[in-house]
Amino acid sequence: MTKDRDTVLRMEDVHKSFGDNHVLRGVSMGIRRGETKILIGPSGTGKSTLLTCINMLTPPESGKIWLLEDEITASKKVNLLRQKIGFVFQDFSLFNHLTALGNVSIGLTKVKGMERKKAREKAMQELKQVGLEDKASSYPAQLSGGQKQRVAIARALAMDPQLILFDEPTSALDPELIGEVLQVMKKLANQGMTMLVVSHEMGFARSVADEVIFMEGGVIVEQGPPAQLFSKPRVERTGEFLSRLSGLFGEEGEK
Amino acid sequence: MTFWDVIQQSWSPMLDGLQVTIQLTLLSIVFGLALGLILALGKVYGWKPVRWLCTAFIEIIRGTPMLVQIFIIYFGLPPYGIRLSPLEAAVIAFSVNSGAYQAEYLRGAIQSIPSGQMQAALSMGMSRWQGVISIIMPQALRRVIPPWTNEFIYLLKYTSLAYIIGTPELMAQARFVASRNYEYFQTYLFAALIYLAIVLVFSELFSWVERKVRIPGFEFHK
Ligand SMILES: Nc1ncnc2c1ncn2[C@@H]1O[C@H](COP(=O)(O)OP(=O)(O)OP(=O)(O)O)[C@@H](O)[C@H]1O
Ligand SMILES: [Mg+2]
Repeated sequence: MTKDRDTVLRMEDVHKSFGDNHVLRGVSMGIRRGETKILIGPSGTGKSTLLTCINMLTPPESGKIWLLEDEITASKKVNLLRQKIGFVFQDFSLFNHLTALGNVSIGLTKVKGMERKKAREKAMQELKQVGLEDKASSYPAQLSGGQKQRVAIARALAMDPQLILFDEPTSALDPELIGEVLQVMKKLANQGMTMLVVSHEMGFARSVADEVIFMEGGVIVEQGPPAQLFSKPRVERTGEFLSRLSGLFGEEGEK
Repeated sequence: MTFWDVIQQSWSPMLDGLQVTIQLTLLSIVFGLALGLILALGKVYGWKPVRWLCTAFIEIIRGTPMLVQIFIIYFGLPPYGIRLSPLEAAVIAFSVNSGAYQAEYLRGAIQSIPSGQMQAALSMGMSRWQGVISIIMPQALRRVIPPWTNEFIYLLKYTSLAYIIGTPELMAQARFVASRNYEYFQTYLFAALIYLAIVLVFSELFSWVERKVRIPGFEFHK
């Protein structure tokens, strides 16, 4: 793994088990500033686990992970590092008792210690960024799935993260709501946000990913630019998985 | 004597008793809430020995009769140098007892909040404690209002047990009045109506609070 100054995230030989279920079996990778990487792979392969290892919600047993110069896996101040890593969940996990604006501003006031008024202004900016300034005072239950996920993205953005991790951000959405979320993510990618996205939206991967990573059985099987990986994968398993995906989700590339 | 005569003759001591009943209830519910919060948080978030201690305490209190607890505190402690007035003993007994029940309601409410809420809080850099205070408790406390209202009403009525150790609350006053006027039925009926009225007032108050802090759609959330 090259270690240049542009590398935002770097991990080396990460292992994670739950009991005797050895989920991650030595994963190494890196993401440079402004890159978007898409992580694909069959269910139960450890994609979500890999993301939660990165922000230490489930600390790995061995291996090292760095965010810029800080070694996350050796840090005593994980809370501080987590501020710099946005996380967008499959099920949104918006704070149910707070309005959209409250969801976006609470990290600023409680974690960053920003004063209320400034926090609300910044939160409003972020809601604007995802096209939801008119929903600022709505509670999660009053929002559609797509709107909830956009609020969740605004909530992550508000912390000015170095990196945002997305765990299947559109797979809990009705098909007609997927587009609005992907559009926001695409905009972020174009603005230079660094992102690691677990997603099986092939059209999205094709248009925004710098690299697609295929994971199976707890290891990275193959990675490469989407055009290459999708058209002529080097490993047979990658090809099998991709053709099964397009069988499941219809022909790729319509989004 | 007509019922009206009974009321006219006895309202003054009965209102004195009501005042003690309310005092006893409010003090016990508040101390009980503090204790319940500690026990519930200890049981859900504490490390193993703490969890075990909290569970043991809750089970012992819930598994023994209220009256036994009152007697232990009032009659059982003086030989060890702890002498309490009837009111003090009653407040302690009811606080401890109610605390154990409130702990279970709070624990249920805390555990009904999806685990993703804490995950999201931690992910944005909150400490576990901040997550509990800013994210979990505001939701759990809203959810606990209905069972907590029940607990309040139970407690209010249970305070009548304190007459046995001589606390001058409503029930003790009613007994006193009845022993003088021999109108047992009408005097106790009067006491019952006072209890009923005060229960209705408080349950109305708490459902007003519940509506006041209601989050749209939250109660239907998984
Ligand atoms: N907290 C946990 N405790 C125990 N086992 C877990 C836990 N989290 C995940 N696992 C197990 O780890 C394995 C990998 O799970 P993970 O959720 O990372 O897979 P995934 O690639 O994200 O799958 P999916 O596509 O279904 O989301 C699974 O076998 C899962 O049962
Ligand atoms: Mg997953």
